[in-house]
Amino acid sequence: MSSETEIAVEDPTAPAEDSPPVTSTRVVEIAVYLVLVALALLLAFDNWRTGMGWASDGPQAGYFPFYLSVILAGASLYGLGTMFFNPSEGREAFVTRDQLRRVMQVFVPTFLFCLFTQWLGLYVASFVLIAGFMWMVGRIALWKSLLTSFVFSMIMFVTFEIAFDVIMPKGPIEALFGY
Amino acid sequence: MEAFTLLAHGFVVLLTWKTLALMMVGLVLGIFVGVLPGLGGPNGVAILLPLTFTMDPTSAIVMLSCIYWGALFGGAITSILFNIPGEAWSVATTFDGYPMAQQGRAAEALTAAFTSSFIGSLFAVLLITFLAPGIASFALQFGPPEFFSVYLLTFCSFVGLGREAKHKTIISMALGLLLAGVGMDTVSGQLRMTFGFSDLLRGINFLVAVIGLFGISEILLTMEERLALRGHSARISLRVLWNVWKDMPRYWITLLRSSAIGAWLGITPGGAIAASFMGYNLAKRFSKDPESFGKGRIEGVFAPETAAHASGTAALLPMLALGIPGSGTAAILLGGLMVWGLNPGPLLFVEHKDFVWGLIASMYLGNIVGLVLVLTTVPVFAAVLRVPFAAIAPMIVVSCAIGAYAIQNAMFDIWLMLLFGVVGYVFKKIGIPLAPFTLALVLGSRAEDAFRLAMIGAGGDLRVFWSNSLVGSITTLAFILLFWPVISKAVGRVSELLQPAKRTG
Amino acid sequence: MKSFVVAGTAVAAMTLANAPALAWEPTKPVEIVVAAGAGGASDQMARMIQAAIQKHNLMKQPMVVSLKGGASGAEALMYMKSSDSDPNKVLIAYSLIYMLPLSAKIPFNWRELTPVSVIAMDQFVLWDNTTLPYKNVKEFVDAAKASAQPFKMGGTGSKREDHVLTVFMEKKTGAKFAYLPYKSGGEAATQLVGNHTASNVNNPSENLEVWRAGQVRALCVFDKERISYKTKVTDTQSWNDVPTCKEEGLDVQYLMLRAMFLPGKVTPEQTAFYVDLFKKVSETPEYKDYMEKQALKPIFLTGKDMVKFLEEDDKLNSSLMEEAGFVAK
Repeated sequence: MSSETEIAVEDPTAPAEDSPPVTSTRVVEIAVYLVLVALALLLAFDNWRTGMGWASDGPQAGYFPFYLSVILAGASLYGLGTMFFNPSEGREAFVTRDQLRRVMQVFVPTFLFCLFTQWLGLYVASFVLIAGFMWMVGRIALWKSLLTSFVFSMIMFVTFEIAFDVIMPKGPIEALFGY
Repeated sequence: MEAFTLLAHGFVVLLTWKTLALMMVGLVLGIFVGVLPGLGGPNGVAILLPLTFTMDPTSAIVMLSCIYWGALFGGAITSILFNIPGEAWSVATTFDGYPMAQQGRAAEALTAAFTSSFIGSLFAVLLITFLAPGIASFALQFGPPEFFSVYLLTFCSFVGLGREAKHKTIISMALGLLLAGVGMDTVSGQLRMTFGFSDLLRGINFLVAVIGLFGISEILLTMEERLALRGHSARISLRVLWNVWKDMPRYWITLLRSSAIGAWLGITPGGAIAASFMGYNLAKRFSKDPESFGKGRIEGVFAPETAAHASGTAALLPMLALGIPGSGTAAILLGGLMVWGLNPGPLLFVEHKDFVWGLIASMYLGNIVGLVLVLTTVPVFAAVLRVPFAAIAPMIVVSCAIGAYAIQNAMFDIWLMLLFGVVGYVFKKIGIPLAPFTLALVLGSRAEDAFRLAMIGAGGDLRVFWSNSLVGSITTLAFILLFWPVISKAVGRVSELLQPAKRTG
Repeated sequence: MKSFVVAGTAVAAMTLANAPALAWEPTKPVEIVVAAGAGGASDQMARMIQAAIQKHNLMKQPMVVSLKGGASGAEALMYMKSSDSDPNKVLIAYSLIYMLPLSAKIPFNWRELTPVSVIAMDQFVLWDNTTLPYKNVKEFVDAAKASAQPFKMGGTGSKREDHVLTVFMEKKTGAKFAYLPYKSGGEAATQLVGNHTASNVNNPSENLEVWRAGQVRALCVFDKERISYKTKVTDTQSWNDVPTCKEEGLDVQYLMLRAMFLPGKVTPEQTAFYVDLFKKVSETPEYKDYMEKQALKPIFLTGKDMVKFLEEDDKLNSSLMEEAGFVAK
């Protein structure tokens, strides 16, 4: 890792003092249980179709996954039940607005990075991600951000593509240089 | 005695300047590929394998096995510093290693990891030295029922102890087992749960899931909590080293138990991955203070690392003696042996004495040199934590993506990683534990295959799991572990009842 | 690191006459895609090819072995299918290209890829454990028929070549076998040695070492004629000493191709490069040595001959799968 560029900054991601909660743990937990129940039903159906019986020589392909789906659905329903019978549980904030904003500050760039990787290749995408994140989220000087991300992407490129022949997704820009 | 003569012979083969130089080169390369995300042990060794095609077999295996040691040492580094396990057996190291790094005890955790790796490997090498000729027959006793009982033992050592609500542990494990089943069912040759997506054919790779669950979700959480990995200047010094080493003898039971578990599971073909989990769980289970595990307890680093390395080392034995690799990396080494015209199998020990004992001697030497090498470089790795979070976070994201992609060269896996990142974030926040999920994903399909093969072999008769003393004792042990809380309570109750009886009587 | 490899192979390169200049050459590392796990027969062969190419400097770019054994090899097939017009990937194929689409309904057809060459034919041998008292096929089959519990037969994968052979053995003899599908031939070999199965139908290469160690017995080979290699492999036997199954009264034959394929939509120049490359590989001592050691049948087919062979082989395999009842509805 290019730890040679040591940069000291004020932490720009300091949390606001009293940020209103976006949602409570309770709501998220209930939502997760519902999603899990739906997933379990879907998988149970698929495994029922595959064959979930116990043949003469042991279980069929769908046997274990089917009963696992049933167990998953059961445990999730139990979870829903506990939520229902304990209205006081999980009232605390799942995430405050301020926290959510900061989580999104990493999540959105990461998502865009994945998208860019598909189109532009991994190295260009990583250059854009690192430079953009350092500059916009970290408020680090633009030249430092660009330099760090360029050095990092180049080190990765040389290590993987040239030294170790590990093939990463590449896009039009690498193609220009014949890779 | 014969072992000593042969080993001495091995050292003679080994102690030439050329071999020693190759050893150093191998170790440095190994640590390097171990630290690089997405390379890790098996991939790293596979990539460097062609380097050795033109060497003589002994030099080649010395270099490759040193790459292997280096990669084993290196794997601990990313687990502790970034919560990204490079190999399946590094997963358990993250449980306590990463919290330690967060508390500014990175150097301590790294020292602990390296030292316990060394102890684990040493234990296994000693075992190999003295048991090599006879051990093949032990591994041969493992058929499908025995394999299943070992997996069952691993699962059972996990259930029943945990701070989380039981239904959440069950959800986590069931989900992991289900996802492990996606793709082709090897026993019937049928596809299941793929819903016609060709990307799901190959199944859900556990490393991709783990990189998302641990690596990406940790970035999200860190950002939310603003823990910003910074400021902890990891001033490694002889003092940290000394302190860790001074404390070590206190954990001798943990170290010994993990070494034994590791060596045993490593020799059991295919069992190497289970070792680190089992080492960790047993340390937790028999600890006086199980609650402190997962919060940065040094014992939680000792236990899995010792077991992982004992098993990683012991895994070479079935590879040499039987031609069955005990781990992914051992499988690649196996490929290497064949390229050099050596056929692993029972005759290798008879026909290629120089080679085999040269290799075993190189395990001793490589381990010692490796330990010195990694310990002296701890400050370099720990310094990474001083880089501001805004720079290190995107770099970790990129590293995760490289790692996820490199495993199967699939863009789909990068998206899967992102999905698991979100799942990991949500699960951690609502208290669904991730460890049972990971374990299930790693061992789920092996356990199922072993169970079904055992059933086909026995015509569907469940008594096959108690059909001989080996499988019977492992299965029984598994159930004892499963019901340990109940049993220990019952034992306590009985002794309580007995005591007043004695007094009155 | 790369310069190190080049330096090491330079000597070997000089001893070989340089190839005439070709119209096309790979400009990137070439991936040799293996549709099986590490250490299996395909992987071993890929590593042999990799080593032969490197030792004799047959190609400027390095060759990397890429293991895609997921979903019993379906992963490799789908990977090749999605790599249209990429001339830097070669698949080392075997009979799964016919069987997998039938048994698991994988949307794959080998005609979508570009055939390069057939480089070998692999044999199947019926093996049992030496500690069992059955010295020949007849004794073995009689014991299997008489047994109350069906004999356990090990093999690689489900509804594939090993499984098909087992079904045909059942049909011809009337004996019943419990077929245990393992993940690799190596595993099937060890399980046989450990007496967890009574027999298996491994390829010679998969059981070679345990045979040499005297732990398994070669009962018969599933071919019309005996294997031609006469050098002693074990203390007493050469491959040629193993009788054919037909000689022993078990009329079942099966040979499996080992062939190289490029993805679809590559240019004729690109195909020509690889045809030439594998032709050269098949002339190296490494290849010849490998063929003899692993008891493979040498063969080199390309162009029209190869397509004709593939079509016939496909028909044969499909009818076997149909008869065995392994075609998914």
